[in-house]
Amino acid sequence: MSASNRLIEATSALRRDGRRGLSPYITAGDGGLDRTCALLHALERAGATCCELGVPFSDPIADGPVLQAAADRALAAGTTVDGIFATVKRFRDEGGSLPIALMSYCNPLGHRGWPEACAQAAAAGVDALILPDLPVEEGAPVRAAAEAAGLCTIFFAAPTSSDARIQSAVEASQGFLYVVGRTGVTGAGTTFDDGAQGFLQRVAGLAGELPTAVGFGIASAADVTAATQHADIAIVGTALVRHIHAAGPDDAAAVSAAESFVRELVAGTGAPSTS
Amino acid sequence: MQDTRFGDFGGVYAPETLMAPLEELEQAWRTLRADAGFQAEMQSLLQHYAGRPTPLTHAERLSDELGCELWLKREDLLHTGAHKLNNALGQCVLAKRMGKTRILAETGAGQHGVATATACAKLGLECVVYMGEVDVARQKPNVLRMELMGARVEVVRHGQRTLKDAINEAMRAWVSDPQAHYVLGSALGPHPFPSIVADFHEVIGREARAQVLDQAGGLPDLAVACVGGGSNAIGLFRGFLADESVALVGVEAGGEGPETGRHAARFSGGTPGVLHGCYTWLLQDADGQIQHTHSVSAGLDYPAVGPEHADLQARGRARYEYATDDEALQAFAALSEREGILPALESSHAVGWVMRERDVLQGKRVVVNLSGRGDKDLGTIMALRGGSAADGADASEVVA
Ligand SMILES: Cc1ncc(COP(=O)(O)O)c(C=O)c1O
Repeated sequence: MSASNRLIEATSALRRDGRRGLSPYITAGDGGLDRTCALLHALERAGATCCELGVPFSDPIADGPVLQAAADRALAAGTTVDGIFATVKRFRDEGGSLPIALMSYCNPLGHRGWPEACAQAAAAGVDALILPDLPVEEGAPVRAAAEAAGLCTIFFAAPTSSDARIQSAVEASQGFLYVVGRTGVTGAGTTFDDGAQGFLQRVAGLAGELPTAVGFGIASAADVTAATQHADIAIVGTALVRHIHAAGPDDAAAVSAAESFVRELVAGTGAPSTS
Repeated sequence: MQDTRFGDFGGVYAPETLMAPLEELEQAWRTLRADAGFQAEMQSLLQHYAGRPTPLTHAERLSDELGCELWLKREDLLHTGAHKLNNALGQCVLAKRMGKTRILAETGAGQHGVATATACAKLGLECVVYMGEVDVARQKPNVLRMELMGARVEVVRHGQRTLKDAINEAMRAWVSDPQAHYVLGSALGPHPFPSIVADFHEVIGREARAQVLDQAGGLPDLAVACVGGGSNAIGLFRGFLADESVALVGVEAGGEGPETGRHAARFSGGTPGVLHGCYTWLLQDADGQIQHTHSVSAGLDYPAVGPEHADLQARGRARYEYATDDEALQAFAALSEREGILPALESSHAVGWVMRERDVLQGKRVVVNLSGRGDKDLGTIMALRGGSAADGADASEVVA
């Protein structure tokens, strides 16, 4: 992996400086791709460490109702993978430097062939791939294509994963390891009780040098603080997507709602305010 | 995991949360399939509870009319009315031996849901079945049967509201409760499901081969089955895979015709991709989004085909054709009127293809897997046909 990968730089800087970070998730094309581009800038201004940009898919088997509905809206608005790449390119051309991990089910990207998909993503300015239906067992062709294009691949640890599985996910990942905070689809609540903290501690031990990002159910600054007790990064998806959608059809209102919400969540990492 | 692919197809494209349950399932299945006690329990259930072996029937009147020798493997006579019980019983016994107490399932036509509800009632397991709203409406008798046997039916109101969406929701439920066992109902999904499901249906082909040798005096020229996900077809085909003289034909749902875009003929209108955990032939658009499908039969109305079929097609060992809605309905009428058998609309596709191809099948011996009975489809059939003596009949005075 080239040392110039934005995501690796950002997450290793967290470690170096002893900080915690925030990775917000948005569904590309929900509200249109112009809004998506404006949202990426807003996430960067609000102090996110990196972000996850979701590629909408017709059959998202790991997502709860909120992210299913966001994908439906994005697809109904005519969102395509080419359109998403063009949006990332535009964000970079406009000076955006926030690291972007593209989060996609296998089929929309794999459909174009992994070498092509990775080369196009990297050329657009994407830094990493997160594929929720790709376990390490099936990862070899994706990893080879991503590495050739200079993209990180990010694999998962779940509460059901054995130490051996987590170890192989760590070995196959760069930038961070995605830790699924609990068993369930996206959106249901998480309580960071002793069991959950014990799991995060186990993962952190196995991840070693690789930063960890924990997701699923984080909705407030207090959740962010609890989640980052034993993880480097808190991921916020459903709560943010819901927040943006609730702001209504006006792009400016949605973007400012997103920015203030993410700013509030970033405060949960203990980071000084960037405003 | 081992042997996760059939040639290029199959694999394990599952969320990480499900990988441990899938590994546990593979391990249990490999251990139990070699276990004499498990085999004896299955054998006893299949014989004394499910009613195996099912007969092989010579469809004499229809044979005469078509000019071929048509034999029907009568999975419609299996308990609950379709082949699905072979797999549901097998997986539920497996799950129980794994210490599972809660069973999740999806269903399209409702036959797999009924079979799973049945197995759960018999074995004392909790059962939740996910079913798309469109299928709930068009296969209502099966919804009632599931409920009467104590299963909870969860109506899926998202997406196309058919089998694909029911599988999405069942997989989400399994991600949320990985301690449960998910009884996948066709030869699809992530490894080890395609292999497990085919294993439990192999009995269809094994029996059919012995029966046709005994009753007809030789092997068939063709073995034909409808293909939704592909479980009844793989069950039949496995009996004849080693007999190279036997042509294997899978019949997909042609709907209103592949050229109309309203169909579920994956090999005619699809390309390979990943859906529901495996790499196989799919109906998808240029951007890798899964396309909507259409079929008059709920059980064939699904955008992907089981990976073993994708491999059999790639190797040229089996070929895949389609029958349209109309051809299936004609076959339904023909079997009803000439043979006194009301077939499921799914199975009617296999017979419909034989009827269309009658010219090239002259004098051939053909075994068709009659995968299920048509009671569940009477609502659909009567809505299309109309006109019954039962219409408007009034029993209120007798009842009162
Ligand atoms: C009677 C019957 N035949 C066939 C099918 C199609 O499934 P498969 O292709 O797995 O046999 C179904 C599915 O619901 C069915 O109920």
